[in-house]
Formats: sequence, structure tokens, C-alpha cells
Amino acid sequence: MNTSHDLAFARALLATNMKSAVALRGAFLMQALFMALNNFTFFVFWWALMGRVTTLRGWSLGDIQVLFGVVAAAVGLTVSLAGGVRHLGRFIDDGNLDTLLTQPKSVLVYAIGLRSHPAGFGDLLSGVIFIVVSRQVSWPQVPLVVAAIAASAIVFAACGIVFFSLVFWLGKVESVATQLWDLLITFSLYPEPLFGGTLRFLLFTVLPAGFVGYLPARILHAPSMLNVGILVAGAIAYLCVAVLIFDRGLRRYASGSRFTTFG
Amino acid sequence: MIGARILKYAAFSRISAAEARRERSELYGRMVFFAVILGVFSSLWRAVAEAGMPVAADPKSLVWYLAATEWILLSAPPIHIDIQEAIRRGDVVYRLGHPASFVVSEFASGLGLLAVRAPFLGLTAFLCAFAFTGWTPPVSALLTVAPFGLAASGLMTALYLWIGLLAFWLQEVSPVFWLWQKLMFVLGGLMLPLELYPAFIQRAAAFTPFPTLLAAPASFVIGNGLVTPGALARQLAVWSGVTALVSFAIFRRAASMLTVNGG
Repeated sequence: MNTSHDLAFARALLATNMKSAVALRGAFLMQALFMALNNFTFFVFWWALMGRVTTLRGWSLGDIQVLFGVVAAAVGLTVSLAGGVRHLGRFIDDGNLDTLLTQPKSVLVYAIGLRSHPAGFGDLLSGVIFIVVSRQVSWPQVPLVVAAIAASAIVFAACGIVFFSLVFWLGKVESVATQLWDLLITFSLYPEPLFGGTLRFLLFTVLPAGFVGYLPARILHAPSMLNVGILVAGAIAYLCVAVLIFDRGLRRYASGSRFTTFG
Repeated sequence: MIGARILKYAAFSRISAAEARRERSELYGRMVFFAVILGVFSSLWRAVAEAGMPVAADPKSLVWYLAATEWILLSAPPIHIDIQEAIRRGDVVYRLGHPASFVVSEFASGLGLLAVRAPFLGLTAFLCAFAFTGWTPPVSALLTVAPFGLAASGLMTALYLWIGLLAFWLQEVSPVFWLWQKLMFVLGGLMLPLELYPAFIQRAAAFTPFPTLLAAPASFVIGNGLVTPGALARQLAVWSGVTALVSFAIFRRAASMLTVNGG
């Protein structure tokens, strides 16, 4: 596998997806706008609650805005750039990988880069707005914000690949994989101190809400090289595990005998 | 004549209920999600209690309040997705010639799904809320919530149908659904009782069906006197009438457009 070729291919896929998404300008804008409104409306809950109690186990409204911002932007980045990850299960189950297997490119990069969801841009936009209005991040920290969002998005994409690759072994479990993906997002959106004991351990391992939301938010709140190192190492480790699991699953893949073309 | 009509549409309910009983993976996923949400919120309410509870209710009754609102919400099947697909694929054209109303048959199918989901999710709500709080509200309160909750879920299903019918004009109704759902979270008092929100939100909520769907039925659990059973029954009847009228009007207009365009 040639990484530089894969990156060039991913860039080309992204450019094609962007052209395709923006071609239907009205639908693109509506989906992005409604997703952003959706995120702001959901946050009214925290705004109302934190208007009454000020802090929750040390977390202020600004901290929760940063958490929301990082998670929303990371989800947005994932489904905008690698939107195919959420369709990977159906792709495998329907035998649609057949067409990709005959191409001289990475099957995984092709499969996850095949789609881009316009709603993701709404998530990304709302995430950035949440971070800006939190007033917890200064201009010199912008590179750190970008890195934290990117690392969080990599963990999201890796988890999506792992969850939906379960279809290779377990068959029609797409709805279970979708539920796992939704649970990851759900847990990521609540302040870290709410969870303790075994659950906290699970949230930094099996369902890594810790790497998706808590750790990036902690880094933006109080930057430390140690936490940055842990986040980067975690993102790389999850991505390696995801690639490994997908490759293992691909060896078990049974053809769907479909005649379809993409591109 | 009326009896024959009821039997005809009851057959739609029976078929969709049978399908839902066979394909349980989504239901199980919802049950797990429900348990997780109640777990997260029981932690959240404990943290809020530590910070000084801003509402005249204890954390235990707020967990039961959420169990009731989430039960109503999760029991209502998202039938707008199937309706949207039927419209996008053009299947609706073939249904126009059938001796059964498209609107009523889709609603009847939705009620069939609701009949399967509600008991399982109700049991999940009861067991999880009891496990997380070690307490149950008075039996009389639970017996009042159950029928009103079911009626509210039925009305919510009809409103999802209404959203699905918008696909005649929008093709993709997901953005409308997201926004509708989040407005329901806030104006319906899904996670927080309405009295915790600012006065302008409470005033706005009074002009929508959302409090009738969620906050009002669940209010019997916390006994905050938001509404009496008689008043809630009247509100449900009024909103059901409005929803039925609007749904039929939308469909009639859409069907006339389809005829003009030749399907």
C-alpha cells in the first residue's frame, strides 16, 4: 500500500464529492443550515440548565460549549470527508465492495471517501461557532483547536470503520453498528465528571468518547504536551486498529456478484 | 361500513406489527439507547443536586420524568423515512389507485409498530428508572401516564407522517425532522421540565403541540400540577384533529399535483 498515492486519491475523491455536493446548491445549503440549527437548538438544554446551576462538578457553560464544539466539528469533518464510513456496513452486506476490489486503489479509502454528507458542513460550522462563543480559546490556540478536531475526527472515523466492519463477521448488524456510533456521539456530548468507575474506563477504550470529546476539550482548556501526546497516540492507535480490522474482514468478504460502476 | 373500514386499516397495523416482531434489532437498539440515556441523566441529576437543585423536584423524580418523556418519544416509529422513500421512488403513485387511503394506511402501519415498541420500551423505562433511583412514583401516577403516553405517541406518529408528506415538495425531509425533533426536545420539555426554561420559551411552547406530547403526560410523575387529566385529554383531541386535517390537506394537494404532472 502506497500512502502518498492513497492521500492523492483521497484528495481527488474529496474534490469530486465536493463538486457533487455543491452542484445541488439549494439542498446542500438547506441540509447544512438545518444541521447547524439542530445543534444550536439541542444546546438550549445546557444553556437553560447552566443558567441555574453555574457549574457541574467543575464544568462551566463555556467548557460544555468547547466540548460540544469539538465533537460537532469532528463529526462534521468525518461525515464530510469520509461520509462513506456510515454506509460501510450496507456496502459490505450488499456486496458492493466487488467493484472497489478491482480498482488499483485502497479499498478502504475508496469505500469511506465515496460519499460526503452536506449536513456535515453544518456540524463543522456550528462546532466552530460553539468554540468561538465559549471564549475559552484564544487566537494563538487556533492550531491546537485544529489539531484537536482533526484527532477527534480520526478517532470517530476509526470507530465507524470498526463498528461497521463487524458486518464482515456478524452479517446484518448495520443497525447495531449505527447504534454504537450514536452511543459514541451521545456519551461524547456530556461532561466527563458525570462518569466514573468502569464506565469511565470503557469511555476511553471500547467506546472512546474520552478521545473524541473529553481529552480534546481538556487540552483546549489547559494545554499540556502530555495530553496532546496521548491524544495523537490514541488517534493513530485507533486508526491502525481500524485498518487492521477492515483488512482482516476483507479477507472474509464474500462477493455479491454485482455489476456496478462508481465514479 | 365503518366497521369494514376499521377492519381494513387494522390489517395494515397487524402486518406492520408482525414485521416489527420479526425484525427486533432496531427495537433492541432503542432499548439499549434508552437505558444509556437514563444512566447518563441519573448521573447528571445527581451532579445537579450537588450543585443546588434549581427545581422543586428531587433527582429521582426527574429521572422518572425523563423515563416517561423518552418512552413516549422512542415508542413513536419514525415513519417519515418510509413515506419519504415511497414518494422519492414513486411508489406512492401506484398506491393512489388502491382502495385504501395512503395517509390512513401509513398511519395504521405506524400504530402497528407503536403497539410492538411501546410495551418493550415501557418495561425498559420502568426497570432502568427503578435500577438507577431505587424508587418508584405512586402507582396512580404511573397508571395515569401510561394511557396518556400512548395517546401522545400516537399523535407523534401522525406528526411524523405529516413530515414525511413534505417529501412531495422537499424530496429530503431529514433536515425538517432534525429541527422538529430538537424543537420537541426543548419546547416539549424532553430532558428538563418546562418550568426550568426561560419565560419566553415557556410562552412559545404553549402555542405548539410539543408540551402536550411530552411534558404534560410526564408531569404526572413529578406531580407539578402542569395539567389535569381532563385538560390533557382535551389538548390531545384538539391537536389530533388539527394534525389529521393538515395531513389530509397536504396529501390532497400533493396528489392533485402528481395527477397534473402525470405521476
